[in-house]
Parts: sequence; C-alpha cells; structure tokens
Amino acid sequence: MAGQDSELSELIARVVLRDRQAFLDLYSASAPKLFAITLRLLKDRAEAEDVLQEVFVKIWNNADRYLPDVASPAAWLNAVARNAAIDRLRARRPAARSEGLDAAERLADPGPGPEAEAILRSEGRRIETCMEELPSDRAEAVRRAYVEGESYLELAERYAVPLNTMRSWLRRSLIQLRACLSA
Amino acid sequence: MTGPGDPPTDEDVALAGEYVLGALALEDRQAAALRIARDPGFALEVARWEARLDPLAEEVRPVTPPARLRRRIEARVFGAPRQARPWSWLVGAGGLAAASLAATLWLGQPQPPAPGQGGEGLWISDMVSPDGTVRLAALYDADSGEMRVSVGGAAPATGRDFELWLIQGEAAPISLGVMPHQGQAAMPIPEDLRPLVAEATLAITDEPEGGSPGGVATGPVVAAAPLRRI
Repeated sequence: MAGQDSELSELIARVVLRDRQAFLDLYSASAPKLFAITLRLLKDRAEAEDVLQEVFVKIWNNADRYLPDVASPAAWLNAVARNAAIDRLRARRPAARSEGLDAAERLADPGPGPEAEAILRSEGRRIETCMEELPSDRAEAVRRAYVEGESYLELAERYAVPLNTMRSWLRRSLIQLRACLSA
Repeated sequence: MTGPGDPPTDEDVALAGEYVLGALALEDRQAAALRIARDPGFALEVARWEARLDPLAEEVRPVTPPARLRRRIEARVFGAPRQARPWSWLVGAGGLAAASLAATLWLGQPQPPAPGQGGEGLWISDMVSPDGTVRLAALYDADSGEMRVSVGGAAPATGRDFELWLIQGEAAPISLGVMPHQGQAAMPIPEDLRPLVAEATLAITDEPEGGSPGGVATGPVVAAAPLRRI
C-alpha cells in the first residue's frame, strides 16, 4: 500500500497549498472508504451523507494538521471521518439503534479479489494477532466500539455488565493492545 | 505545551485511546476534544492511537457515495471566498456597520472590566503591536457566540499570515484562525470553546501563510491583549 500512501500524502500536501484539483483527486481516492466508515458508524444513509460533507470541509480546512511522522495519510483521513461520525452519533438522543440489516454491508462496493484482499489483510495482520490475545468477548467489544460505534452504555447493556466494568474492560484491552503492538 | 521532560501519564494515554475508540459518552468525549485543542501532548497521543487502531477499519468495505455529494462538497469548499479555517469570513460585508464597529473598537472609551461572567455580554480585546504598526480589534458577543475582528495597519510579510489565538490560564493557546490582511471578518466560536473566552487573552502571531502548520503557535507574538467586558 506504500504507493497509495505516497499518492495520498502528496495530495494532502497539495491541499494544504489550496490546490483544488488535488482536493478533487483526494475526494475520488478516499470518499468511498470514508463514506463506508460514516455509514457503518451512523447506520443512516442521509446522516452519513451529511457527515461526509463535513468531513471533506474539515479535510480542506485542516489538511495542515496531518502529521506524516505519526500516521499514514489513510489513517488520518479515516480518523477525520470517524471523529465526525462519532461526534454525531454521541450527540444523538439515546435511541434504539437499527439492529437489522447492516446498511454499509448491503451497499458495499464489490469487494477486492482474493489477492488484493490478502494484501489488505497483511496490513492489519499485526493488530489481528494482538486482538486474538485478548479474551474473545473483549476483542469483540473493542471491534463493536471502533467499527460499529457502540458506546460504553450500549456495550454494557449488550454484555450485561455494569457501565464501569465495561469501561475498565476496554481501557485494559486498549493498554494491552498498545503493549502488544509496540512489542 | 508538553516538553521532552513531560511524558504523558498512563491515564492520559488510556483516555486518548478511549477517545479514539469512540465509546465515551457525549460529555466525556467533549471534554477530551477540548483537551485535544488545548494540549498538544494529549493531541499527539490521540494521533498515535488513530494510527495504531486504524487497521481495525480494514474490514469496512468502500461504498461509493452518490455523485450529488461531490457537487455539494465542491460548492461548500470552493463556493466560499478565501477560507483558511472553519471561519465564515464576512470580509467586506456589512460595509458601514462593520466600519463603525471598527471605529467604536478603536476610539471608544475603555470601560472598567466587569466581574467575569463567561456566558453573556460583549467582550473586546484591543491588540496593538508594541511599535503601533499592527492593530487588531476583536469583539466577542457571548450571547450569539460570534467574534468579529477588524484588522488594520501593517500587513504581514509576503508568504506570512497573522493567526489569532485564545489563551486561557496556563493552557496551550488555541488557534482561532488566520486573520485577513485588512478589513473585517466574523466567525462563530465553536460551542466547546465559548466557556473559555471570558477572561481569556487574545494574541496574534506571525505564522507561515495559511497558519501554523501543526496547530501550535510557531511565530513571534505580534500583539496580545486580554478580553474585557464592555
């Protein structure tokens, strides 16, 4: 994925310089992934579209905040999208979340071929290995929080444990992941 | 500002991870977001967690957004005049009203400061560089959450911009955006920053064009003045 990373880095650098074409190219390269992330978290197409607009306004305005030494450009773009979607999610009144068909999965573009999938997976292999070292219910809770946007409250209900217990589970899981990833 | 001898605590690292995980309740999330804006060391921890956990998003398969979205985004981003930060510049707008605001700010009689009440009233900060060449007046309406600035005097050097900062106590300055070289501008202050405005000091620094690259002031302070109630 190094080629894609350097391409994204260059586009972000040009966006900092107010290059409109670079912004449009960056949109083409990243919007499907960022839309999928917001859709998966919000589980509401209209809201996800709304948040995606905010996300690209933020990318245009804040491209200078990207720290190339800390994160890959894709990770930074994904984080901008996740943050905006989670802000929206948490600001919602506590409401029943749709438990039915997963809109993001239903609408997903045709997946990559097996070869591309294998390359994709190798990027995440390290964290997958570390996730496997966690008790399985905790790894599942981490994933539900990160990918599906479930809050401590929702997770506590799902796993029928007190809120504080859920929070300390996840805090400990995070610290364990961090240690595993830096090992 | 976090220095080299000032490593993040375990608690900071865990909280930064929780913020990135996204499971915090609204209030805790907002408090953490405020911390990101004020504390570069904490912001760095958050960025590290973003990088660390990002592979978890690999399972999310891309979904092509509708074409209309791209057009809307283009209109939002390029439709507005110069927009270096999430400010909605009203440069030149308001004409006479803005001009008389500037005159009031520069010529009006200073009032004695009232006891701090962040939530209401009008606040002003009159920033003048020590040599008197750069003047920037800011008027903050706590009721509407809007700040208006009026810039006069010498413009920054070519390739440089003046950036406005909010300084509250010992906390790291928070960027309020890049200033126009001349004239008036208005911007909404984000809701989470509003409680910090009262009793704060505003400062302008000389930064590279487009503002400080890392969200941390890098240039010399050109002028600074506390906000006072009028």
